[in-house]
Amino acid sequence: MEPGNLTLSGFLGTDDRHYHEIIQDDENILEKLGHTPEEIAERMQKLMDLAGDVYEEPITVDGHYQIEIQLVRGRMICPFAHPGAYRKGIIYLTNLKNNLSVKWTPLSVHFIQSHHFFEGEGSVFRLDPETLVKAIFE
Amino acid sequence: MLSIILQDIAIMSAISGFLALLLIIAQYFFMNYGDCKISINDKRDVTVKGGSSLLSSLAEQKIFISSACGGRGTCGTCKCKVLDGGGPVLPTETPFLSPAELSENTRLACQVKVKNDVRINIPESIFNIHRYTAQVTEIIDYTYDTKGITFKLIEPAEITFKAGQFVQLESPKYGKVRQSTSRAYSVSSKPDSINELQLIIRRVPEGIVTTWAHDYLKVGDTVYLTGPFGDFYIRDTEADMIFVSGGSGLAPIKSMLEHLETTGTNRHMVNFFGARTRKDLYLVDHMDHFKSVFKMYEYVPVLSAPDPNDNWTGKTGYTMAYFKDKLRDPKNTEAYLCGSPGMINSVLNSLIDLGVPKEKIYFDSFS
Repeated sequence: MEPGNLTLSGFLGTDDRHYHEIIQDDENILEKLGHTPEEIAERMQKLMDLAGDVYEEPITVDGHYQIEIQLVRGRMICPFAHPGAYRKGIIYLTNLKNNLSVKWTPLSVHFIQSHHFFEGEGSVFRLDPETLVKAIFE
Repeated sequence: MLSIILQDIAIMSAISGFLALLLIIAQYFFMNYGDCKISINDKRDVTVKGGSSLLSSLAEQKIFISSACGGRGTCGTCKCKVLDGGGPVLPTETPFLSPAELSENTRLACQVKVKNDVRINIPESIFNIHRYTAQVTEIIDYTYDTKGITFKLIEPAEITFKAGQFVQLESPKYGKVRQSTSRAYSVSSKPDSINELQLIIRRVPEGIVTTWAHDYLKVGDTVYLTGPFGDFYIRDTEADMIFVSGGSGLAPIKSMLEHLETTGTNRHMVNFFGARTRKDLYLVDHMDHFKSVFKMYEYVPVLSAPDPNDNWTGKTGYTMAYFKDKLRDPKNTEAYLCGSPGMINSVLNSLIDLGVPKEKIYFDSFS
């Protein structure tokens, strides 16, 4: 979780809350929005799969989302000591209807799916649940 | 009353101290694995102190197995056959091992703890791998996010490698990073320069080693490199060659072409480089100069999204679109690819569709 361990800036950003608290607060937001972390992760994975293993160029999916996947060599492990390793890279998504853009990593999908963790405020790959929901569902 | 409280504190302290002592004694007896023998290829034995990973135990004996992540279990590179004494396969290993590899007792050396005598099988080429102390002699900004960094080897002072192989560069503790970290980079200089190495390093967002290389490393600094690793090198045949790279993937291709320049060749070669805009192109003149070196060589830079201000009059789109025109005899062509996993995947499929035999398509195994 801490900076300089698995990644340069870690996963907590400038957030001084314990990660349990971050998870709880984000779960509360999602409950109000009527979405579960599992369905969000499933949607993110589906959009990634639709974009495929593309040649580092943005592609449009269903005329609705512009997605660019930039993968680099190597894999990341989960800081929650979950077995498995996740590809290194960044997924950039822009919802062409509402112009909202979000970015995440393959590890982000695992974080949300298995740990309901959207990372701390100020983290490079923090996903604000409300923005994310609007970007991938609207 | 006070004396009772003090008495209770004393009793509790004594119990805690006793338990701590018990723990230390238990650790000494149960966690001390003593000396363990690692039998390598049934030819050579080394004795190590038990308790560390196979990867680090071998490294202490100056036997370096490739590990792009520095032993964190994230890259799956440090595979070796553990024939006896490796214990059960861990859940951290299974994502990296195919059923065939599992059946052949392949393991990740960073995940196998040496607790007893171990029998392993590793390629003989591993004995050519060393950890080098080196000094930075030159840093060139090739593009806004890509640097060419040259290192003079200090100890050992010479390296033997094949053009296309890679080394691991260690970043020290810096800024928020509290531990040394290693990452793999292809060598971009020619193997004939035995006293120095050049690496081409592209900045990766949140990358620990690339951030250090771009923002902290300076001429004169002492660094550590381990290598060479990898089976990405030119096959000694007369087949036509197609090189396809993007980003810092140009590094091993540069090394290969410079090596061929030294040795001489009459092979037919086409060198594709894919980039997004003109500002992502680099070493254009250098790649172009090989036209005057080789009899049959063509350099084809392709921009996928040239900026209008680029005034680009060259090829546009993806490199794959031009393969058909440039391949003389696909069945007699060897392909050498280096770039992102997405690029490798797209190019690989395209070449196979055009009839290039899959077994003649080579790319970095550490991707």
